[in-house]
Amino acid sequence: MSWIQVLLISAVLALLVYLLRSRTNAKAKAWVKVGYLLFVITAVYAVLRPDDTTVVANWLGVDRGADLLTYALVIAFVFTTLSTYLRFKELELRYARLARAVALRNARTPEH
Amino acid sequence: MVRWSESPYTWPHWPAPSNRRGVVLWTSKQRTPPPGNARTADVWIIVPAFNEAQVINTVVRELRSTFPHVVCIDDGSGDGTADIALAAGAHVVTHPVNLGQGAAIQTGVEYARSRPGAGVFATFDADGQHRVSDVVAMIERLRGGDVDIVIGTRFAPSSAGRTPLLKRVILRAAAWLSPASRRLGLTDSHNGLRVFNRTVADNLTLTMSGMSHAGEFVALIDENGWRVTEQPVEIRYTDYSMSKGQPLLNGVNIVFDGFLRGRMRR
Repeated sequence: MSWIQVLLISAVLALLVYLLRSRTNAKAKAWVKVGYLLFVITAVYAVLRPDDTTVVANWLGVDRGADLLTYALVIAFVFTTLSTYLRFKELELRYARLARAVALRNARTPEH
Repeated sequence: MVRWSESPYTWPHWPAPSNRRGVVLWTSKQRTPPPGNARTADVWIIVPAFNEAQVINTVVRELRSTFPHVVCIDDGSGDGTADIALAAGAHVVTHPVNLGQGAAIQTGVEYARSRPGAGVFATFDADGQHRVSDVVAMIERLRGGDVDIVIGTRFAPSSAGRTPLLKRVILRAAAWLSPASRRLGLTDSHNGLRVFNRTVADNLTLTMSGMSHAGEFVALIDENGWRVTEQPVEIRYTDYSMSKGQPLLNGVNIVFDGFLRGRMRR
């Protein structure tokens, strides 16, 4: 096992621990965790046997496993960006409602 | 979030037309019922304002010469807009932080609809670009009873020639890009002047805080099946309102937010 493999695998495992420790109460997040577990297993496997990704790539009509990983990364990045954007919008809306409630409580009426 | 510290609540502004006949300030001498008149007692004028200290006094006093109930939503201004509006006779609701014009309108509607006797609601930009006489005419139109909301348009056939060609094309294209706007036959959905009844006020839920609320307003009209009509109004292009005009590029933000709107949980 080369050093880069040790680094990559420990990074992935650290992420797994982080994910499992946070947000433990939300039932809806369970599927995200299952998906993440699959991702971790795949990632460890791909690190240990990098040539196997090329085999999968060839099934899909892609030349190299590294290219396949790049494509997957781009898709994942776009997905993450969009979901972050929507999440921010939602937070902004909650924030606006909070500020509105404060504003309405402190409304001032003119004297005349 | 669309920052609009440099931009006012109005989009878009055009360069001053060559015949500046819209510039003359409306005076209260023109067919003004006294405040408290039965025709205006149930009317609430909603004025969202952000850093409008220079003009808010004039705008509120002009409105108050006709309408007894004016609420100014100070959207986190740092220039004393709130105090000036209060002194001029407006109710004042102050956002603790700057949220955007859409949020300010929503706050104003929620405040106004909670007041006893409120029946007619109007949004009115704080920079002095609208004429009070247009609001009076739009309220008369609403009281006809066959519509729920009246929106001002600067693109009536009588005034169409006064908008520069390029901007007219772009704005009409923007209107055409919005399916709701097209279905309803609206020509100027970004006009800040709107008059509506209790049905609309009670069910209004604007979620777009920034400048994209105008498109959202149209989408809500479409989704809720409110009966809508347009009424020709005149926009006063003063140097002040011109200097606060938004760049047309902001239209990109508005169109983009409009597309994403359907994908958000409400």
